[in-house]
Amino acid sequence: MSKITVKLVAAESLYKRDVFRSPDPFSVLTIDGSQTKSTAAARKTLNPYWNETFTFTGVNENGILTIQVFDQKKFKKKDQGFLGVVNVRIGDVLGHLDEDSINRGARREETITRDLKRSNDGMAVSGRLILVLSTAPSGAHTSSHTASSSAQASDESRAHASTHAASSNSTSTPAQTVANTLQSGTTSAPITAAAASSRQYSSFEDQYGRLPPGWERRTDNFGRTYYVDHNTRTTTWKRPTLDQTETERGDQLNANTELERRQHRGRTLPGGGNSESGSSIAVQSNTGSSTPTVNGTAAAALAATGATTSGLGELPPGWEQRFTPEGRAYFVDHNTRTTTWVDPRRQQYIRTYGPANTTIQQQPVSQLGPLPSGWEMRLTNTARVYFVDHNTKTTTWDDPRLPSSLDQNVPQYKRDFRRKVIYFRSQPALRILPGQCHIKVRRKNIFEDAYQEIMRQTPEDLKKRLMIKFDGEEGLDYGGVSREFFFLLSHEMFNPFYCLFEYSAHDNYTIQINPKSGINPEHLNYFKFIGRVVGLGVFHRRFLDAFFVGALYKMMLHKKVVLQDMEGVDAEVYNSLKWILENSIDGILDLTFSADDETFGEVVTVDLKPDGRNIEVTDENKKEYVELFTQWKTCSRVQEQFKAFMDGFNELIPEDLVNVFDERELELLIGGIAEIDVEDWKKHTDYRGYQESDETVKWFWKAISEWDNEQRARLLQFTTGTSRIPVNGFKDLQGSDGPRRFTIEKAGEVQQLPKSHTCFNRVDLPPYGDYETLKQKLTLAVEETIGFGQE
Amino acid sequence: MSLKRITKELNDLGRDPPTSCSAGPVGDDLYHWQASIMGPPDSPYAGGVFFLSIHFPTDYPFKPPKISFTTKIYHPNINANGNICLDILKDQWSPALTISKVLLSICSLLTDANPDDPLVPEIAHIYKTDRAKYEATAKEWTKKYAV
Repeated sequence: MSKITVKLVAAESLYKRDVFRSPDPFSVLTIDGSQTKSTAAARKTLNPYWNETFTFTGVNENGILTIQVFDQKKFKKKDQGFLGVVNVRIGDVLGHLDEDSINRGARREETITRDLKRSNDGMAVSGRLILVLSTAPSGAHTSSHTASSSAQASDESRAHASTHAASSNSTSTPAQTVANTLQSGTTSAPITAAAASSRQYSSFEDQYGRLPPGWERRTDNFGRTYYVDHNTRTTTWKRPTLDQTETERGDQLNANTELERRQHRGRTLPGGGNSESGSSIAVQSNTGSSTPTVNGTAAAALAATGATTSGLGELPPGWEQRFTPEGRAYFVDHNTRTTTWVDPRRQQYIRTYGPANTTIQQQPVSQLGPLPSGWEMRLTNTARVYFVDHNTKTTTWDDPRLPSSLDQNVPQYKRDFRRKVIYFRSQPALRILPGQCHIKVRRKNIFEDAYQEIMRQTPEDLKKRLMIKFDGEEGLDYGGVSREFFFLLSHEMFNPFYCLFEYSAHDNYTIQINPKSGINPEHLNYFKFIGRVVGLGVFHRRFLDAFFVGALYKMMLHKKVVLQDMEGVDAEVYNSLKWILENSIDGILDLTFSADDETFGEVVTVDLKPDGRNIEVTDENKKEYVELFTQWKTCSRVQEQFKAFMDGFNELIPEDLVNVFDERELELLIGGIAEIDVEDWKKHTDYRGYQESDETVKWFWKAISEWDNEQRARLLQFTTGTSRIPVNGFKDLQGSDGPRRFTIEKAGEVQQLPKSHTCFNRVDLPPYGDYETLKQKLTLAVEETIGFGQE
Repeated sequence: MSLKRITKELNDLGRDPPTSCSAGPVGDDLYHWQASIMGPPDSPYAGGVFFLSIHFPTDYPFKPPKISFTTKIYHPNINANGNICLDILKDQWSPALTISKVLLSICSLLTDANPDDPLVPEIAHIYKTDRAKYEATAKEWTKKYAV
C-alpha cells in the first residue's frame, strides 16, 4: 500500500456535442471508486488545461484510477454532459508498488496520454487525457528522497494543497455525489489485490493483476504466454487490458477479422479460377473445360482428358472440319481418308519419332494409358508435343510411356507455377461432378456443424458443386459464401484453442500438428475432417486462411524432412542439432539414439531406432542421429494425426496429382497468393551493413517491384519460411525470438547466391556489381528449392 | 536423453562442486532444481546468498534451462520477477553448456553487469550515471533480502 500522486495536466480534442458552444470541462478522479477528487472546470474549451495534482493513499498496483470528464454546464442533465472516461491500472504505469522498492529505488514518474473512452451508454467521445503518475515516498523517507528533485518537492506540496482543496470542496461539488454511481458503470472488471510479493500466479492473473472475467493465461509448449478468451473462444498473444470493455475488445477483434478477411479475399492463384466470374463459369460448366481461357498448353492437357474447347488455330495439313446435320463437328483426314470426332489439334495422337526422325508413328493416346505421376504433356509453339517431368524438373520430347530416344532441342525447364496449376486443374480427378453438394452451417457453430455436414457426405458428394448456406442468412453461393465459409472455418479448426494444431516455435502464425492432440479422444476423426476441408478448398478453388510450417507441406508431398526444415519448427532445437554436426561431441555430449517426450507431465523415452537408448551417439554416427531426431520431432510424433489428415485430403485430391508442386507452391495452392504491398515491406525493412540509399538495396527493391506476387511470395518463403504476411503488415513480422523485421544484410561474396536465415527473417545479400546480376542471383536463390543457399 | 544428462550433471556437481555455487533437485522431480549463489566478494552483493529456481525442459540440453532468481536482487539484468537477461540462456545457448557453467556465468554477471543490454532500464541508468548510488542500493537490498 503506497501513496501516489496524479497530476492531471490537460485534455485535448474533446468531443464537440453542441454546434455553437464549447463545454466547460472538469474531471472527476477516483481510485477503485473511492477517494473521489475533482478538478476545477475550465471555461468554454475543447482543450482544457487543468494542471492539478492529487494524492491518493493506500494504493496498490491493482488499483484502478478512473478519470471521467464532464461538461459542468450540463452536469445536471440526464447524461451529465459526459465527455469520456479513462481507466488506468496503476501497476501498468508504475509497476510494483511495494513500499521497499519505492523507498529504496528512485521515485518513479510516468507521463501518459490516454484516449478517452465511451461509457456504457455509448455516447460518442473523442480526445485524450494527459496525466503524470508518480510514486510518492511516504512518511520519514520523503525528505531524503525528494531532496534530489526540487520540482518534485513542489509537486508534493501542491498535491497536498489541492487534495485539501478538493476534499474541502467535495461536499459542494455535484461530481462527488454521482461519481460513485458512475464508477460502477465504467470500471469493467473486478479488482483483486494480488499479493505483490508472490511470484506464483494462478492462470487468471499475473504480475499485472487479474485478467478480465472469462480470460485465462496459458503457456504453450515453448514457454510463451498466450491468453485464452473463454467468452469468444479465441486466443491471443496480447494481454487483455482492464481499461478495455468487453465491447471494445469485441470491436477490436472484429476489426482484425475484417482485415484478415479482406486479405483472404485478395488472395489469388495464377492460371485463373480465382476471380468470381472465372470460378462460377467453371463451376457451372461441369462437363466442360474448367479453365475458361484456353491456351495451347491448357488445350493439350485438356485434350488428354477429353474436354471440348474450340479455337485452337489451324488444322494440320490435309485435315478438314465438317459438321453433321445436327451441327456436331467432326474431322476428315484426307491423308488417310478417315473421319473422327476427335479434333486432331487436341493431340489425341502421339507422334513418336523414329531413330532417324524419318518415320512417324502415330498412336492413340488411350492405348498408352495415363502419364506417370508428376509428368505433364505440353505443346511447343510449333505444336510439337513435349513432356515435362516435374519430379526431376526436366523436359523431353520422349513420351515417358514409350522407349526413349535422345534429343537435345527440347525447351528448357522453367518452374512455372501457373502452368502447373492449369495442368493440375485440368485433371479428370479434379473435375466437378454433376449435381450439388449442400452444406448448411450456423455461423456461431461453424466448426461442429461443418464437421457433421462434411463427414456425413461421401467424397464423391463433396466433389459436386458446393452450395454453402449460413443458417438464417440469405444469399446464394456463387463463390462469396463459400469463400467466407473457408475463411471462418480455417480460423476455427486450426485454432490452437482446440489443441489439434499449435503455433510453431518460429512465430505466432505458422501452425503445425499438436503432438498432444490425443487429449481429445476424437482427434483422429477431426484430423481426417480437416484433411477433407483442405482438400475441399483445393478442389473447389477456395483458399484457407492458414499457413503450416514448411515441414508439413513437405510431408504432404512425401518429401523427406531435413534438418533445414527444423528451423521453422523449433529454432532452439535446430541450433543445437546444427551445433552437434559442427562440433566434436565425443566426451562432451552424452547422447543415445533416443528422445524424451513429455506427455502431460510424464516423460517417456522414445527409441529413435531399435534399442536406440543403448546406442551411444558419437562423432561417427551423429549425422544419422540428427536425421532420426529431426524425423521424430517433425513427423513420427504426429504420424497418426498426419495419416488421418492425409486420408481426408486424398479423398478429394489424389496423391500423385499434387506431387507436381513443390512444398512452397503447395502452400500457395492451399492458402493463395496475397497481394503484397511492396511499399509497406520496404518501410518495415532493416538493413545491416547497407544503407537504404545504397545502389544494391535500390536494385533489390527494383527487382521486387518488377516481380509478380508469386515471386514475391517465394522470396518471403525463402527469407521468413512462410508467404504469410501478418494482418497488420510487415511491421508485425515475427522471428523465433519475438518481433523481427525483414532484414537485408550485406554479406557473402558477389559470385555467391543470396542466403537466408529464416529464424531472423534475414537475407544475406552480397554487394553485387550491377542490377542484372542481382536480379539473376536473387531469382536463382528463390527459385532453387532443394539445398538453397542456406547454411 | 535429458534425464540421463541431468543425472550426470548432478553427479558431476557432487564430485567437483564449483566455488560459491551449489545446485540440486528440489524434491523427487529431477527436472526442477534449486541453486544458490554466494554474492561475489568484489561486488555489492558480497555476503548475500541468492537462491535460484531451475527448470529443465524435456528437450534439455537441446534447449536452455529456465533459471530465475527467487531472492530479490537489485541488478540491471535481473528484473523484479527474478528473470535473468543472459545471452547463453537464450540465443547463445549450446548443448555443451552445463548448469555449473551457467551458474558461474551468472556469478560473473553479478560482478560485471551489462548495462547496455538491460532488463531493468531504470537500474541500468543509475548504474551508468551514479555508480555509487547503484552500489548502495544493491548493498541495501542484499542486506535486506539475501542475508
